[in-house]
Amino acid sequence: MIGQIYQIVKLNFRLEWQERQSYFSILIYILSSVYLSYLVFNQSINAETWNAFFWVIFIFSAVQAAYRSFHFEADQRFLLYYGMVKPENLVLGKIIYNFLYLFATGLFTALVFTFLMGNEIHSLAAFLFILLLASLGFSTILTFVAGISAKASNNPALPAILSIPLLYPQLISLSRVSLRSLTGFSWEVNAPLLIVLALLSLVSLLLSYLLFPYLWRD
Amino acid sequence: MKGIWWKLIGLLLVLFSLIFGMIGPVQRLPILNETIRVLYYHVPMWFSMVALMLTSLIYSLKALNKSDLAKDLYAFEAARTGFFLASIGLVTGMVWARFTWGAFWVNDPKLNGTAVTMLIYLAYFVLRNSVEDPFKRIRLAGVYNIFAFVMMIVFIGILPRLTDSLHPGNGGNPGFNKYDLNSDMRPIFYSAVVGWILIGLWITNLRVRYKNLKERHEQV
Repeated sequence: MIGQIYQIVKLNFRLEWQERQSYFSILIYILSSVYLSYLVFNQSINAETWNAFFWVIFIFSAVQAAYRSFHFEADQRFLLYYGMVKPENLVLGKIIYNFLYLFATGLFTALVFTFLMGNEIHSLAAFLFILLLASLGFSTILTFVAGISAKASNNPALPAILSIPLLYPQLISLSRVSLRSLTGFSWEVNAPLLIVLALLSLVSLLLSYLLFPYLWRD
Repeated sequence: MKGIWWKLIGLLLVLFSLIFGMIGPVQRLPILNETIRVLYYHVPMWFSMVALMLTSLIYSLKALNKSDLAKDLYAFEAARTGFFLASIGLVTGMVWARFTWGAFWVNDPKLNGTAVTMLIYLAYFVLRNSVEDPFKRIRLAGVYNIFAFVMMIVFIGILPRLTDSLHPGNGGNPGFNKYDLNSDMRPIFYSAVVGWILIGLWITNLRVRYKNLKERHEQV
């Protein structure tokens, strides 16, 4: 099982690397949206606006990045997978791949933000931990929704419509706890919120794992 | 549920709560004053919304299990009725908020929860309508409906408990709960809750029958 998951993750990286422009398009997407907010805000930025803009841009680039998860499978490879891979392993592999991808996306966004908007991060370790939790939660929901919209139709708005409302519970807690990591962080005070976030990710991971086979069989 | 008895019970309970909600005696509380009567018209909407969404979830699970088209239609219509009741709950709540909090909309965890719930179910409706193949629709809409219900419970049941709300009964605000125990208000409130749940199920039934007839009409 673990071997199969590892193979799926590796295969995804290799396939995406063959079409490198998708990575570059995400990088450019992030660059241009951060630069947009830089121009609009005209350097009157504080921790709160930094935080708000960071999460809005991160959520949109995450949706952009993850909705391609099943892009390659749309035609023949679906058929190959039906016979060879258990759907549970497939979804776990995709989630792990997306988790790594989204975490890298988040790091890059944070880097560009710090470069353009100034460094507002007070407690770096806490911020990175929050970003890790965010990537985990986002990747479970976004992978699952990408699966749904790959099967549904080619309505381009569908991934965003379906995933953004499902991400609100996480996003509300994330932005609240990450604002504290910008201004001064105490692990003890924020432990309950971090546990809630981890549990939310766990619940959505469990749901994706259990429901994906239903989505999968044709 | 077969027969007419439960529809009659629902109708009578709702009529009872509508009439006695207006003329029955209530507590006099600062700020709330007579607006406490909104308890009979606003809060039952949320109870019945959750009940209908739960019905929708159960029917989605059944539909997924057996690939049953009729169950899928019932799940969809139950969610639609729940959405409709949520809209009424939102409007009655906004009117009440205007006179007690001074604004139609405030940034409150319960209001956010409602708004998000409605957005999630709107996404469910969009998804269900954008799939042509009916059997594919059962699976795609069904799994999304399960996700939607879980996130709704997280949002309206768990997250508001982590912060204070402006709502009565939260964060030191004068609450309804304490005064429900007052024997004047309690029966009217509970009959409104049960009545609206039954009326919601009735609306769902009628919608499903209407859809089936329409489909048969189109086939002829």
